[in-house]
Amino acid sequence: MANEALRLADVDAFYGDSHVLHGVSFICGEGRLVGLLGRNGAGKTTSINVVMGLLRPRRGSVAVYGTPVAGRPPEAIAAQGVALVPQGRRIFRSLTVRENLAVAARKASGDRQKPWTLERVFDTFPRLAERRKQYASTLSGGEQQMLAIGRALMSNPRVLLMDEPSEGLAPQIVAEVMATIRRLKEEGLSILLVEQNAKLAFDVADDIVILNSGRVVVDAPAAALVRDKVDLHQHLGIY
Amino acid sequence: MNLWLLAANSIAFGGLLFLLSAGFALIFGLMRIPNLTHGSLFMLGAYFGVSLISWGVGFWLAALAGGVGVAVLGGLIERLLLRRLPGAELAQVLVTLGLSFMIADACLMQWGGDPISIETPAALRGASRVAGVAFPTYRLGVIVIAVAFAVVLWAMLERTRLGAMIRAGVDDPMMARAVGIRVPLLFTLVFCLGSGLAGFAGVIGGPILSVYPGLDQDMLPLALVVVILGGSGSLVGAFVGSFVVGVLYNFGQALLPELAYVVLFLPMLVVLVVRPAGLFGRSSP
Ligand SMILES: Nc1ncnc2c1ncn2[C@@H]1O[C@H](COP(=O)(O)OP(=O)(O)OP(=O)(O)O)[C@@H](O)[C@H]1O
Ligand SMILES: [Mg+2]
Repeated sequence: MANEALRLADVDAFYGDSHVLHGVSFICGEGRLVGLLGRNGAGKTTSINVVMGLLRPRRGSVAVYGTPVAGRPPEAIAAQGVALVPQGRRIFRSLTVRENLAVAARKASGDRQKPWTLERVFDTFPRLAERRKQYASTLSGGEQQMLAIGRALMSNPRVLLMDEPSEGLAPQIVAEVMATIRRLKEEGLSILLVEQNAKLAFDVADDIVILNSGRVVVDAPAAALVRDKVDLHQHLGIY
Repeated sequence: MNLWLLAANSIAFGGLLFLLSAGFALIFGLMRIPNLTHGSLFMLGAYFGVSLISWGVGFWLAALAGGVGVAVLGGLIERLLLRRLPGAELAQVLVTLGLSFMIADACLMQWGGDPISIETPAALRGASRVAGVAFPTYRLGVIVIAVAFAVVLWAMLERTRLGAMIRAGVDDPMMARAVGIRVPLLFTLVFCLGSGLAGFAGVIGGPILSVYPGLDQDMLPLALVVVILGGSGSLVGAFVGSFVVGVLYNFGQALLPELAYVVLFLPMLVVLVVRPAGLFGRSSP
């Protein structure tokens, strides 16, 4: 149990009457990176929303390091050490770069080796340091993505949820984002990474979970899928 | 007609309106709650002040205590009623409208139907000369108080971490909660603050407006116009809007008394049509 950072078990979720997740179960082990894939509308963001407490599951359970969190408010789940880099970035537009980071700050729990602070985020993303006094709405797309990642790190999370962090970015920026994700993983952070681009996900993921119409259709180590040359086209569409 | 005096009165009235509307703007901007009790909270603060002063409490202490009392009441309204109606704007309108009628009735029962005036505090009676023109000292005091509150509120909102959290909650409440900000707690805090300001303004306005049944319904539309002109959630907008409305209202009543409300509401209609987010408001993302 202790090495399970995140566990979804039999989660059903609805938007109003529309049934979007059907018995979704998967695990993100401590220090592992799970790539969550699926076509448009497969339910990836919905799964993330359920974990973060932005959508209350109608059935099933979600546990963070063994602590049940389903049905708790997002701020309580954040306090459990979950942080979100949301689809579309959702930075706070009327806050400065510095403020975006400051409002999310939370002390590292206990034994954290290198806690995330304003200084460390600025060291990691020097471009944010240059723009610290600018309003976040004036940043470029790539800078906004860095800010969204930095903001998530400021809470010193144990589990990081990233929803399509490469979406809409120039290839060079995407490479930068992926390098950052690799570094975070090396530090031992447990990461759930949603990606449209399967190749990117396979490059960094330990495990792959694929959703199709709100159901888990593949859940396996990335290496095993590659080794066995499993054909994922039917679940992912064409890339 | 003394234009100088009219201008001074307009500005003083604008200051009063700012104290009233700042809370309304914050509550509407952060919580999207059209709080129709806001005028009642102003009136209630004024009546609290009347009672406190009649028990021998000094004017300024009465104003502070009136504000605190109304802040507590506002907090209760938010926690016990509005908290249960998230996003249900029609229900919020009806609940706050109903409450405003109830508060009006309760005030009528407790303080009667006759206008009650609050005496100007002794230190600020009479007139002062500014640039060679005589102004009523108390009105100058109201302007100073309004500007001081504007500066403090602005600094709180724009220069502190708490203020940044509140703005984050205005920008994207769910995302703010996801980064760990306790938005519901901030909502209660802002509601208390906004209510308290209205109550405080009620007492401060007493020497100018006196207190009477119907004061609530006189003030509420003015706060609405201010916030629509300035833009919800924008303190700068509420500040500028308050003085614009103060001028329109006073000059309208003095120069075109039959059309005072046209002078007041026409600009609001124009702004609504041309710039629905208000002069200083941001359109929601
Ligand atoms: N707020 C909402 N209200 C109603 N239905 C929604 C809402 N959000 C998503 N849906 C529907 O739920 C399903 C799953 O959506 P979800 O956003 O989880 O997909 P996704 O896998 O993240 O897709 P994408 O790759 O496009 O981001 C879709 O059919 C979508 O239309
Ligand atoms: Mg999505």
